Amino acid sequence: MSTFSFSLQSPTRFGPRLGSVVLKRPSIDIEIATPGLLATTSRGAVPHLSRDHVRISDAIRWVNVSFETFLEHNPPIPTLQALQPGTSSASNPLHTFLGFTPNKHIVSMSARDPHDGRDMPPNGNAHVSVQSLRGVRKLSPTDWRSYVQACQPDIVFALSDTPFTDPQYSQKRLTKSIERSAAWLSSLLNLKSPPPPPKTSTKKVVNNTSSNVDTLIPTNTRIPPVFLHLAGIASPGARKAFSDSLLEPLSGPEAEALLPLSKLDDGVAGYTIDLVPLKSSVEATSTGVESQIVPLLVTSLSALPIPKPRLITATQSPHEILRYIGSVGVDLFDAGWVQKAADYGVALDFEFPVRRTSGLREIGHNLYDVRYRMDFGALADALRGTLSPQEDIEDKPVCPCAACSPVSPSTRIFHGHDTPLVSGEEEQSSPRHLPHYTRAYIHHLLHTHEMSAHALLVLHNLAVLDAFFAGVRGVIKDGEARWEEEVGRFGEVYDARLGVVEEARERWREVDLARGKGRLARERSKQVDVGAEAVVGVEVRIEV
Amino acid sequence: MQFQVIAKCNTTRARVSRMTLAHGVTMLPTFMPVATQAAIKGLTANQMQALGVTLILNNTYHLNLRPGLEVLNQAGGAHKFQGWDRNLLTDSGGFQLVSLSKFTTITEEGALFASPFTGEPTMLTPEESISIQHIIGADIIMQLDDVVSSLTTGPRVEEAMNRSVRWLDRCIAQHEKSGTKSTQNLFAIVQGGLDSVLRDRCLDAMIARRNGVAGYAIGGLSGGEEKDVFWRVIKQCCDKLPEERPRYSMGIGFAEDLLVCVALGVDMADCVFPTRTARFGVALTHDGPLNLKLSKHAKEFQSIDESCPCPTCTDKTSRAMLHHIVTHETAGAHALTLHNVVFQAQVMGRAREAIIAGTFPDYLKQFFARYFGDAGYPEWCVNALRSVGVDLLEGTPAAKIVSGNGAKWEYAAINPQ
Ligand SMILES: [Zn+2]
Ligand SMILES: [Zn+2]
Repeated sequence: MSTFSFSLQSPTRFGPRLGSVVLKRPSIDIEIATPGLLATTSRGAVPHLSRDHVRISDAIRWVNVSFETFLEHNPPIPTLQALQPGTSSASNPLHTFLGFTPNKHIVSMSARDPHDGRDMPPNGNAHVSVQSLRGVRKLSPTDWRSYVQACQPDIVFALSDTPFTDPQYSQKRLTKSIERSAAWLSSLLNLKSPPPPPKTSTKKVVNNTSSNVDTLIPTNTRIPPVFLHLAGIASPGARKAFSDSLLEPLSGPEAEALLPLSKLDDGVAGYTIDLVPLKSSVEATSTGVESQIVPLLVTSLSALPIPKPRLITATQSPHEILRYIGSVGVDLFDAGWVQKAADYGVALDFEFPVRRTSGLREIGHNLYDVRYRMDFGALADALRGTLSPQEDIEDKPVCPCAACSPVSPSTRIFHGHDTPLVSGEEEQSSPRHLPHYTRAYIHHLLHTHEMSAHALLVLHNLAVLDAFFAGVRGVIKDGEARWEEEVGRFGEVYDARLGVVEEARERWREVDLARGKGRLARERSKQVDVGAEAVVGVEVRIEV
Repeated sequence: MQFQVIAKCNTTRARVSRMTLAHGVTMLPTFMPVATQAAIKGLTANQMQALGVTLILNNTYHLNLRPGLEVLNQAGGAHKFQGWDRNLLTDSGGFQLVSLSKFTTITEEGALFASPFTGEPTMLTPEESISIQHIIGADIIMQLDDVVSSLTTGPRVEEAMNRSVRWLDRCIAQHEKSGTKSTQNLFAIVQGGLDSVLRDRCLDAMIARRNGVAGYAIGGLSGGEEKDVFWRVIKQCCDKLPEERPRYSMGIGFAEDLLVCVALGVDMADCVFPTRTARFGVALTHDGPLNLKLSKHAKEFQSIDESCPCPTCTDKTSRAMLHHIVTHETAGAHALTLHNVVFQAQVMGRAREAIIAGTFPDYLKQFFARYFGDAGYPEWCVNALRSVGVDLLEGTPAAKIVSGNGAKWEYAAINPQ
């Protein structure tokens, strides 16, 4: 069993803060320094990465799994993992099913994909509408709890009643939203209510693989640490009311059911903020949406305890991240946008603090661009590969990713009469560094629609973002003045309009539409650009 | 090239050899995964090395278009460009010219085609094919041959065969004066269609040129011909080709084809099938292919093959998880590609072991019994192996035999769910 903790170096309510998330397991402690990142998944996998690539990426320490794609089956398949021989609900069944390493990865579980902003049918008093490949499903709080108990992620996101309908929400809708969110949190924390009735299909399913279990009742009733979405959308009043409701002393039957908790907030390990619904419900102004969102977050957090981690989803740029660190004190950021940039063919290239100041720079390179056809440099200018040529080294830090600093495999598989003894080749020596993959090579892979391009770019982009956060923490350590100075410099050097990402995305969409004519294109147009599985599905299906 | 036969099967024509090239040793027989565009689908060069692959194939036609020779030259060749420091083979580009472009016409000078970029008429001569392959820098390069479909009949087959011999002379001449002979090795391609007389004449002519070639490919097959004809041509070529040269059967990738070819004396084969079928959700196993898209796999928690040494299986990736992601996530394709590449290598590796141990006929019987099971043996395999002294039906006279080209696998049933 694991324990989750979060500590801050100093009790900062609003403003840059240094902290650390620690997940203690029997064998090892996983620590994530904050501000820091978590990786996103699609259908339970980090897009484009095979499991060995996930493991060699040092940037991937926390992954979030949106569970809705598993609701295609009832019961959801990952909930059956704990029933398999050799696994149990005490032994990280979700890690096992998805191939994450308990000693390296924290796995959190959310019902929805926080990047999906498609219109959805309204939620009900006792269900959230979720999206699966076979259409919209209803997910009830009691089912959610049973799935969480069966899967045992390290962290769970409580269900939240976030409307994905017309953004002009009435007072009544807002009230309902915060009441439901609080009630669903309560029901997630309530271990005394009866478990959900066994699923009718369970018997049949389980008999397939194991004979002695005939229900889906999890043996482990533990609820992992709960992260809670700060509800209230764009209404300061609703936000305040929601936070207040967390701090109210519990009373009556609810108090009894939730013992030993004295208020709902006692059952909350961290707070989340989903930007997708927030952004769609505030008006864009010349000062950017952040200037409107920041006060809303401040409202939510004003009275809540300081030393709980704050996790924000769906930021889109380093500038935005710096804003939420500086003005709010957000600790954790998902890396969805850098992973997406890899889909579009963008190799990120930015650093914090900025070492060189020479005019306005883009935050990355659109490697589709013909200018990279003959560019044999490493992916970033701000970072170098371990073996980059001498004259290029300066004082640049190394990008440890498998594209910039590949390392030869330490072992290989032998298949029969091909060992060094037979071939006469030297034994595999210890791993050695290899030259970087070049921009020209990835440019080529992108133009020939080779999936390897995206694998290398994801690994690189995650490493760049990870290095960015390391730089952020270093600057925070140096105090307020340095922070202000470096954030200012970053804004001067790196173009906040993100032209390179926009341009690459446009091009990617064109190419993608051209390649996915017919049925797939029609599916795509329904999903605009936010569909979780859209990107890759097309790539795989039409490539013959 | 150093080519050394180190063991021969006492029954069949199978053999184990050590082929030493500029980028290391490759033990034969071997299967070569195809990296058409300088990447094995979705994987990196390091991953391929970790899988124990020592020889892959790039396609000249594709690399010549993209990234183009200017880039490859600047990069220092295809090895460096793709980060692959083991052995590499390139084809001549001729096959793709004919199969991908309707407007290609063959003249004595070379293959005339419309440039895919500009539409301009462009000529690929044997000399040019070799020069392009010199720039790409593969360890094994192929002659430009005059390719006709294996279903073509009549005088065109003979013409193509004779021209392929003349083009071989031009390729040898071009290669001789290149100065890359110490690192690059030219293979001839035996043509002659399905006509044994033409094949024989081609074999004679090309064997006469043995001093100019490091190995022989058997071309002009795998174009939809009857399998029972296919194996006879392979056998005819293997029987006649010189012992001391590697033999390469082009475009062969199904496990049964590989093992029959090995038994007939083939040392090398390549095919896009294992990596392509992975992208459609099919995992190759010793019990036959598994189509993981089928909903029957949705609740199976076992791996594809518990005894498989690939990263996907040693990690115990469940069929259920694979079912969930194949054809939706590139990560699903990667997982199956890793597995399928290893499966092919295992089929060949076990063949090498068995040949060394003197048990290759047993290996064939066991493999076919398990792989085809109740589906029945393809009749052509039974015939082909009988021709080299192995009777798959020995001891199992009641075994089912399927005529035609063999069993229909799960991968044929491509309808998901
Ligand atoms: Zn990198
Ligand atoms: Zn495997």
